[in-house]
Amino acid sequence: MMLTVLLLPALIMFAASFWRTPNARRLLPATSVAILVPIVELFRLPKPYALWRDYLVADDLNTYILLVSSIVGIGVTLALLTLQKHVTVTERAYRRFYRFFALFWVGLIFSILANHMGIYWIGLEMATLSTVYMIKTNHTPAAHKEAWNYMIVGAIAISLVLFGIILIYASAKPALGEDAMLFSALQSRSGVIRAPFLFEMGFAIVTVGMFVKMGFFPMNLWLANIERASFYPVAALFSGILESAVMVGFFRFSRIADSVNHAHLFFFVFVYALLTLFIVAFLIYRSKDFMRLFSLSGIEHMALIALFWVSGGTFAALLHFGAHAFLKPALFLSTGVLESQGRYHIAGALRGYKGVKGTLFWFLVSLFMLAVISLPPSPMFFSELYGFGAMIDAAKQTHHLLAMIGAIGLLLVLLSVIFYRFVAVYQSMKYEGETVEKEVYASELWALLLFAAALVMLLTPSGMAFLRSVA
Amino acid sequence: MENFLIGLFLATLIIALFTTRLYRLLMWYSLNSLTLGALALLIGSRLDDGAMLLTGAATLVLKGGLIPWVLKYLSRRFGLRRQITPNIKTQYAIMLVPAILVFTFYLAEPISHMVAANANNVAISISSLFLALLLMMEHTNIAPKIVGFLMMENALFLLGTTATEGMPMLVELGIFFDLLMAIVVINLLLRHEEAAS
Repeated sequence: MMLTVLLLPALIMFAASFWRTPNARRLLPATSVAILVPIVELFRLPKPYALWRDYLVADDLNTYILLVSSIVGIGVTLALLTLQKHVTVTERAYRRFYRFFALFWVGLIFSILANHMGIYWIGLEMATLSTVYMIKTNHTPAAHKEAWNYMIVGAIAISLVLFGIILIYASAKPALGEDAMLFSALQSRSGVIRAPFLFEMGFAIVTVGMFVKMGFFPMNLWLANIERASFYPVAALFSGILESAVMVGFFRFSRIADSVNHAHLFFFVFVYALLTLFIVAFLIYRSKDFMRLFSLSGIEHMALIALFWVSGGTFAALLHFGAHAFLKPALFLSTGVLESQGRYHIAGALRGYKGVKGTLFWFLVSLFMLAVISLPPSPMFFSELYGFGAMIDAAKQTHHLLAMIGAIGLLLVLLSVIFYRFVAVYQSMKYEGETVEKEVYASELWALLLFAAALVMLLTPSGMAFLRSVA
Repeated sequence: MENFLIGLFLATLIIALFTTRLYRLLMWYSLNSLTLGALALLIGSRLDDGAMLLTGAATLVLKGGLIPWVLKYLSRRFGLRRQITPNIKTQYAIMLVPAILVFTFYLAEPISHMVAANANNVAISISSLFLALLLMMEHTNIAPKIVGFLMMENALFLLGTTATEGMPMLVELGIFFDLLMAIVVINLLLRHEEAAS
């Protein structure tokens, strides 16, 4: 029953996409808000709450991620209302977009709530394939090329994930039987895995697949290219929901790997994330348009989340995760407005907004941009403080304190490169270039306000207390 | 018999790497899937596992017949190039293939001390995965890349059937569903290419 209510907005969206009147899409933001009702109910129910046998189980971690992703979904449906005022999009392409958006949403609800590795994978694959078509709704040669690219690279990444899942299953099946597919069973009985090498090989392949999907080293640019070529809401969905679903998988797999061999997990993720950050920081330094800037900074956030999580900083990772999921879609959606008067114009992008709506828009965008680089009181600031604290704690236990302090020093240097670039971009947007009059629409502002409210909610004492309780 | 089929599976994949014609490539994909389906049927009947028999039959019909047929139909309809020359020269590919095989056997070596049975099958599955990746990389055309992706799915299936003696039914059906959705998306993507030109 609960599952049906959760899936209902997506199903209504799917049905409405066949309806040939433009008014149909006005209905969709209201419908998508309805998803909050079952989620709030899930927060109140005792955990773990089984939605569908052992296959879909809601616990504190995935309920939180579901809430975050749903807020992003609502924001995107709001912003989609006025997409055609900024870019050329036919009515037919719009309907197609909604159809695949609905499929995407169903896939993600399944993968976020999954307690079963197979269902997690099926949901992720469904989301991947539907995104291919969402990229394609933009009728340009670049979008077409990137859709194929995504089809191939995304398929490789997702196949690697399945390959690893099968290896993990093979390592635990002799002891657990078909239960070896359940995250909860693997977690609680990881001691019985008789072939840890097989498990770790599986885990490494899963992680590489997931990291490729999130644009980690060495595939740093493919995500940026895709987000550049597609419509703005696609980029928002990518960073706000799809990456969240991949991350929830990483959280679950790494918890099991942590109980099998903590040192291997830590070393592997640590080196991978540091390498990614090193490259991403310099790519950000050289980026010349908003989409690339924001999408590369998204990769940076994901690397930090992975790093904090394996260091044992659950709270820091989840806070960073929530902040990323709200800030990045907000910025991607505002890029649609910022670039509506011609692309790639960073200088003067924040000028020319008139009236209350315009002022509110540039003020919010400025806040988001400064929050993304962890200027206090952004949630990112606190998460990074706690995250670095967790890394030091982890180092103290393993007697590698000096190496860790060196690594944190390197991280801070890389983060300051990113900080410098973002501040330079912000100043150029506000104080340079010509003033061209631009239009903002109410629906976009509502989406931004929604994200801003969600960010404030994260920082409230009850929000913080909830995140601390998710251990 | 099982080893023979696994060998056949690997052989069809390796020959596919050297193929320069699209329809021939589709045929090798079909044969590859047929050996996989037969293998699943064989192991399924040995273990008396109904779910695996069902997936074996589905593999034979869907992957061995339907998907190659649809791909051939699509390639004819959208006039895809049938001449597909690999970017890696044959003499280098001949060296690469055994290198990959040796590497994966080396990679899977520690497993043989941990699990008594099927360590070689794990190695062959991993090498099939790499070979399918190589197939995707060595071509610039889209059609062989799609076949490479499908071959990769076959490598996953091989691992699922031989190393674990069958994945849960739910997962295998989900994979088939996703595969069909992939074909629908491929169809839509090709359609737009036609509309654009």
